Amino acid sequence: MLHSKIAISALLGGLSLAICQWLVFAWAPEEKVMGLVQKIFYMHLPLAWWGLVSFATACAASLLCLIRHDRKYDLFSASAVETGMLFCTLTLVTGSIWGRHSWGVWWTWDPRLTTALILWFIYAGCMALRSIPMPEHRKASLCSVVTIVGFLDVPLVFLSARLWRSIHPSVFAANGGGLDMQMAVTAIACVAAFFFIWLSLLLIRYRQLLLSARLDSIIFEQLFKAEQEPAPKTKKLYASE
Amino acid sequence: MSALAWLMAANAALWIGFGLYAARLASSQGRLERRISQWEADNE
Amino acid sequence: MLTAAIAICKKDLLMVFTHGAGLAQALLLGLLLVFLFSLSLNAGDRLSPQAAAAMFWLASAFCQVLVFNMLYAAEEAEKARLGLLMLPAPVQSVWLGKAAAGMVILAAAQCVFIPAVFVFLGQKMGEFWTLSLAGILIGDLGMAASGSLLGALSVGQSGRESLLSIVLFPLLTPLLLSVVKLASFGLEADPMLENALRWIGLAVAFDSIFLGAGLVLFPFVYNGED
Repeated sequence: MLHSKIAISALLGGLSLAICQWLVFAWAPEEKVMGLVQKIFYMHLPLAWWGLVSFATACAASLLCLIRHDRKYDLFSASAVETGMLFCTLTLVTGSIWGRHSWGVWWTWDPRLTTALILWFIYAGCMALRSIPMPEHRKASLCSVVTIVGFLDVPLVFLSARLWRSIHPSVFAANGGGLDMQMAVTAIACVAAFFFIWLSLLLIRYRQLLLSARLDSIIFEQLFKAEQEPAPKTKKLYASE
Repeated sequence: MSALAWLMAANAALWIGFGLYAARLASSQGRLERRISQWEADNE
Repeated sequence: MLTAAIAICKKDLLMVFTHGAGLAQALLLGLLLVFLFSLSLNAGDRLSPQAAAAMFWLASAFCQVLVFNMLYAAEEAEKARLGLLMLPAPVQSVWLGKAAAGMVILAAAQCVFIPAVFVFLGQKMGEFWTLSLAGILIGDLGMAASGSLLGALSVGQSGRESLLSIVLFPLLTPLLLSVVKLASFGLEADPMLENALRWIGLAVAFDSIFLGAGLVLFPFVYNGED
């Protein structure tokens, strides 16, 4: 069941991304002020959006893991954190490239970029925690707590970064309103295309982790059975034994 | 660098990023397959 | 729960202040940070109030990590964690007790950091020092709540003390931004105060979230598992 969902999602992702490439490079008009480089926005926005959604997904899965004590939720959370880390990294890279060309700086304390950076650090902490060898149940609890607390922190990070920035000049112009119709359609199409890419990667990784967990269970059960079985009788070599 | 070069740099970063992650997934898959082969060998 | 929390707090404070080694470590680390940063200044230079406030809070953050590692390591040394868990009180009383103890120790350390900031970083007290004091109180509360919740990461055989800093520091960002701003108001001669209430609001929101999260999530982090 899972692999058919992955296949459909990946196929839709590929097709929609192909359409988006045409929309971005041929159909969407060039922005008057920022010029050609503004088209990075069509990659940057979906990456940021799905990076944040990934973290929300990880948080929800972690909550379910703590409530229901089912390992599959922990594995789903782990997949979401990894996928989110990828999307977050690409958000920062594309944002930096855009900023470097447009304003001559690789980094600016824009609240959205700052939130993405803090999110990246929180993800990295989660992944570092997960890489430590420890009993699975304890790892699941610790990682779930860190993910939940990290997600609760994100709105505060955004608000504090925005308040901090209010005394500094804004480097990035607000992209919220005032988008040309063609630009808006292209942006929405790219968000949809990246959704399928995100979903495919998430489910592929989840499936891998599930298989690995199943193998662990099989090996553990075998070891447990081997220990339970009585040792075979050995022939006595000496009468005095 | 021209505006087009910066745009292509961002595009390249995107595809390199996805490519690296796909390589990581493939490496995990290889590790999983080796563990399965080992288990099969132990249980023959 | 409060009685048990107070008992745990008293026990930890007694242990830390009678032995002294743990507190000395945390104190020295913070002082060293402030001093080493002052080496970046030329003779007679004055660091900006915001930068000095940031150094003060960075020293406090590193101190917090050491303090909570030390507080949780206390029971691990003699395998006394199970004894604490078997108290006839909710396990959150451990979180609350250690948070209270951590807050007192951090405040004690900050009493040393404050003069260090004035001496090494060339600062002068401004008119609005009460805002800085409020910031220190709210900041210490938030650091205690978050440090106590996540300090339990270092517990058990699989615990890693180094993890606390990489997990905690990104989460502390909104609190640090708020309290650095509030501290800088107290160091500036003529600060722009229009956002002071919003910064206080943010810091209080952080404290509320972590106090709530600690109450709900602590049992999952601190239990009999290794």
